[in-house]
Parts: sequence; structure tokens; C-alpha cells
Amino acid sequence: MKEILISLNQTQKVRLQAALQHLDELASQVSSANLAVTVADTIPVNNEDGILKGHGTTEFDGQVVATLCGIVERVNKLVYVRTLRARYKPEVGDIIVGRVIEIAPKRWRLEINFSQDAVLMLQSMNLPDGIQRRRTAVDELNMRSIFEENDVVCAEVRGFQHDGSLHLQARSQKYGKLERGQLLIIPAYLVKRRKQHFHHLEQYGVDLILGCNGFVWIGEHAEPIDSEVLEDRDKIPKDKHRDTPLEVRRNICRISNSVRLLSALGFALSVEAIVDTAEASKSSNVDIKDMLGAEFYVQTAEREVQRRASLLKKKRFV
Amino acid sequence: MVGLSAGEKQFMHGGIAQDLRSDGRQRLQFRPISIQTGVIPQANGSARVTLGATVVIASIKAELGKPAPLRPDKGKVVIFIDCSPTAGTMFEGRGGEELSSELSVGLQRCLLGGKSGAEAGAGIDLSSLVLAEGKICWDLYIDGLVISSDGNLLDALAAAIKVCRFIFLVRFEISSPWQVALSNTGIPKVSVIVEASAEDQLEVNVSDEEFLQFDTSGVPVIVTLTKVGRHYIADATSEEESQMSSAVSVSVNRHGRVCGLTKRGGAGLDPSVMLDMISVAKHASENLIAVLDSEIAAAEAAEDDGS
Repeated sequence: MKEILISLNQTQKVRLQAALQHLDELASQVSSANLAVTVADTIPVNNEDGILKGHGTTEFDGQVVATLCGIVERVNKLVYVRTLRARYKPEVGDIIVGRVIEIAPKRWRLEINFSQDAVLMLQSMNLPDGIQRRRTAVDELNMRSIFEENDVVCAEVRGFQHDGSLHLQARSQKYGKLERGQLLIIPAYLVKRRKQHFHHLEQYGVDLILGCNGFVWIGEHAEPIDSEVLEDRDKIPKDKHRDTPLEVRRNICRISNSVRLLSALGFALSVEAIVDTAEASKSSNVDIKDMLGAEFYVQTAEREVQRRASLLKKKRFV
Repeated sequence: MVGLSAGEKQFMHGGIAQDLRSDGRQRLQFRPISIQTGVIPQANGSARVTLGATVVIASIKAELGKPAPLRPDKGKVVIFIDCSPTAGTMFEGRGGEELSSELSVGLQRCLLGGKSGAEAGAGIDLSSLVLAEGKICWDLYIDGLVISSDGNLLDALAAAIKVCRFIFLVRFEISSPWQVALSNTGIPKVSVIVEASAEDQLEVNVSDEEFLQFDTSGVPVIVTLTKVGRHYIADATSEEESQMSSAVSVSVNRHGRVCGLTKRGGAGLDPSVMLDMISVAKHASENLIAVLDSEIAAAEAAEDDGS
């Protein structure tokens, strides 16, 4: 997805700049450890001995200099630069959303914004009939009935193989094909690793999946299908061509515009922030399409300043 | 261009049927449009148009040339569109050529009319570009560059060209006193044009008076209606365009006259649907022209502040 570009008028520009400056000040109050650098910036190391220069750093004139744009991270003696706008770096256990690009023998290949394609093996996936058994050649021939090319799939990172390829698994009812909704692609650094990445927003009837790789799925709520219920499977194809109700669709659009807006502003995506933005737009009677307009853009930035300021106050009292 | 899964396609079709598209717009609503003028100082007129995530730049350069011997009473307009590889990996190498030529041809048809026609009703009046019949005329080189592509490139490019032309013509109005004063001042903004053919300088000065009467309201905007499923939508994103069956681009001028028409996509259209689309496009163009006018005013105000 392309990032939206918003044009502001003069007063809006001033307001946005003030809000962003505020955010900068607040961030520096919270922690001075995280230092943002651009290429050729010097990284202060206070003449410590035995500093290990990690990724994105080099030595120049006796100083440690950044060769990438990002945030300086320190682990004991190691200093490295964590880039922001780079591809996604998977970790074992991450929940990701991907798109099937190829069906190969016994495996699907998924595009997940990693430097290579992820692999989902047939054997690391629960079969639709829910029975644990060896995968046969017939199963292999019927792979396309599970996932087709271009399908959007939710899975978990299983690990790296010896050859460096990334393997996924989908051994639960909550993983699998995603339907009736839309996929948004945002920079991966905006999604923080949390305990919960699947969210059922009950007040909206919407499922929200924040994939760690920056793929965000927003769709109509679908109950996970238990294997017992699957006995009467002829029930499912019947409502396959049912359209999403208008009210739910409005909510989906509102939530996805919140995600688009927050990612355009570069704010981290948490379910609270997304719902907050959607609620604010609702309470101030902003039309769904006007959520991407300049006025609400600036308002969102200002609201974020207030939120962080009040968080900081609370912390101080504690 | 990634494909869409069956579930996403169904969702999109359902949304269009329910008059609520994936970004909350209705079927005939445009994304927010913004304009920056004078982005290329070397050109006579240039503009950057942002339409949602679609970004295009258009520039117009005017040169003095000779009219074609077969048409001594007409100037020349050359339209060339380029798709930058920064807009997407599919435009790398020769990948963008097909789309580039499709866009150029579409704009040519919508703005200039057919090869043989180009008489009354065409968007740009070629006879007004002639300075002395058979001897000297303006050659307009219109170049467009697609910087970021998220659908509806044709409308964005036409809007950019319309804005360019506007600025270009305003400059010419300013330019006539400049050229009179050419002998005792330095190098004015438009001196390049005059120096290019020094011996014709006298003619240029004379015919500049006529140039002031150029009718800017004739320059049309293009409204593309994309048919997805049973309905048609305005200002489609690239995801919506991937599902289109056919698209009709109608160029409409300020008076609500249709100046040109192109149809893309393989599927056929019922003539009654086509007529319906034209009248809808005409209606939509009124809003678009109003938005463009206010944006032009805002952009000019911003430029004045800057300088």
C-alpha cells in the first residue's frame, strides 16, 4: 500500500509542527537512551573500552559513526543501529499475515515483507477435517482447496531452517485463511510485539489482526470453526456469498482509516490507539472519508500529545 | 501489482454495491487532491498533483517552431508521459512503456481530439498557437511523470496539465511588457523563447497581443469512471483498478462540454450505460473543476508567500 500524502494549510502546518515538537520533548523526557541517528552521525560511546561495533556502525577518525538511519541500541558492549524503514525481521513466535504467492510441492510460499519468501509446509498446518494424520499424496494434490494463490493467510513464525529459509506454522483454529475484509500494508516497525495480536472488537463486530510484519488485516468477525462443528460442513458454502452488513462495513472502513492515519503520522499501532482514533472520529462526527483529511490528521497528532503528556504525569505521581 | 484474494475481491465488490468503498468513499467521490505549482523552474509551467497516494508532475515547455506544411494554421502539441521506476517495481526497465504510451494516447485523445479532427471542441485550440500562418507557431511540449502510482493516473495527469497551462498562460500575460522592455533589461523569464529565434523577434512581439485572448476555460479536466462489477466508480485506487472490467475517461471543459472520450479495458459497454456515464462524468467534473480552482488559488497564494 502506498502511503497517503496530506496537504495542510498554513495554520494546520503550524499546529502540526507544534504537536510534533511537543512529542519530541516528551520522548526525550521519558528516556534519553534511545538516540536516533542518520548516516554519518557520530554515536557517543564515552571512550569506553572494548566497544563492539555492530550492524550499521563503522569507525571513522577514532569515532563510531552510523552508516544507517535508525535508533542506536546497546546490548552490553555491543552498539548497533536498528533501522526503522527496513524490511521486517522475523522472530520465532511472531504472528504474521502474508499473501500466498506460489504453491510448490508440499508447501506454500508467502510474501511477508521479509528479505525472502516464507514457507508454510503442508505438514505444519492443520487440515480442514481436523484429524491428526500423515499427509498423503492426495492431500498434496488438494492443497489449492486450502489456500490458493493471492489468498491472505495468518500464521506464526516457526523458525529458521539450516539453509536460512523461514518456516511458518498454522497449527490452530485461529490461524488460516482470512476473508471478508481488507489488508493494509504499513511499515513493520509500527507494530510492536505484544502478547495479543488477534483482536475481536466486539462493539464493532470487527476482527483486527496486527501482523508483526506490518500487514494489518481488518475484516468482519468470523468465529473460529471448531472441528466438531465441521461435521455439517454443507452449512458453510451457503453463506459464502453473503455480503458484509453495511453497519459492519462502516466500522471496518473506520478502523482501517484509523490504521492508515496512524501509520501516515508514524505513531505505533496498538489496538487502544486504533480504537481511540476511531471513537474520536465518531464522537466529533467526522465522516469516514474525511478521516484522511488534513484537519483530522492534525487533530490526531494533537490528541497523541495530550495522551502522552497525561501518561507521563501519571508515571510521575506513581 | 499484487493480486487480490477471492475474499478481498468479494469484499470490494460488496462495498461498491453498498456505496461504501474500502476507504470510506462513496462511488463517485474523489480522494483529497492537492496541487503545487511551479515545481520545475526551467519549464514555462509545471505542477505537482497529489491525489490520495497518486503523485504526478506535469510540465509544459513552449518553443517557437514552424507549423507543419499540411496544416499551416495550427500549432503543435506533443504529449509524453513517463512512469518513474520509483513508482513501482513493475516500471523498471521497459516495464512502464506500455502504460506510458497508453496514458499519452489517452491524454492526446482527451485533450487534442483525434489526429484528423482537432477542430472546434478539442481541449486545446491548436489554431490559437499560431503566430504567423505558415511561418511561426508555438510548439508545446507537455511532459508528465508518474512519481507514485495508486490508480487514476489519467485524471491526475490531466489535472496537472490543466494547472500547468493555467500558470503558463498567466506568465504570458505578464510576459508582454517584459518583451517590450527586452532591450534595456537583463534576461527576463521568458527570454529563452525569444532568443531561440532572434530574427523573428518582431513577429513575436506583435502576436503576443493576440495571445492574451487565449481562452483558459477551454482546457478540460478528465473524469475516469471505472466499471467494477455492475457499478461504476470515480477515482479508483490501483486495487480497484485491478478489478475493473472497463473504464471510460471523459474530458469535460468548464462549460460542461465533452472534449474527448477514451475507453480502456476489454469488456464491452451498453450504449445506454455509456451515455449515463458521460452525464455522471459531466456532473463530477463540475466539482473537480471547482476543487482545482480553489487549489490553484491556494497554491498561488502559497507561492506568493514563498517568494
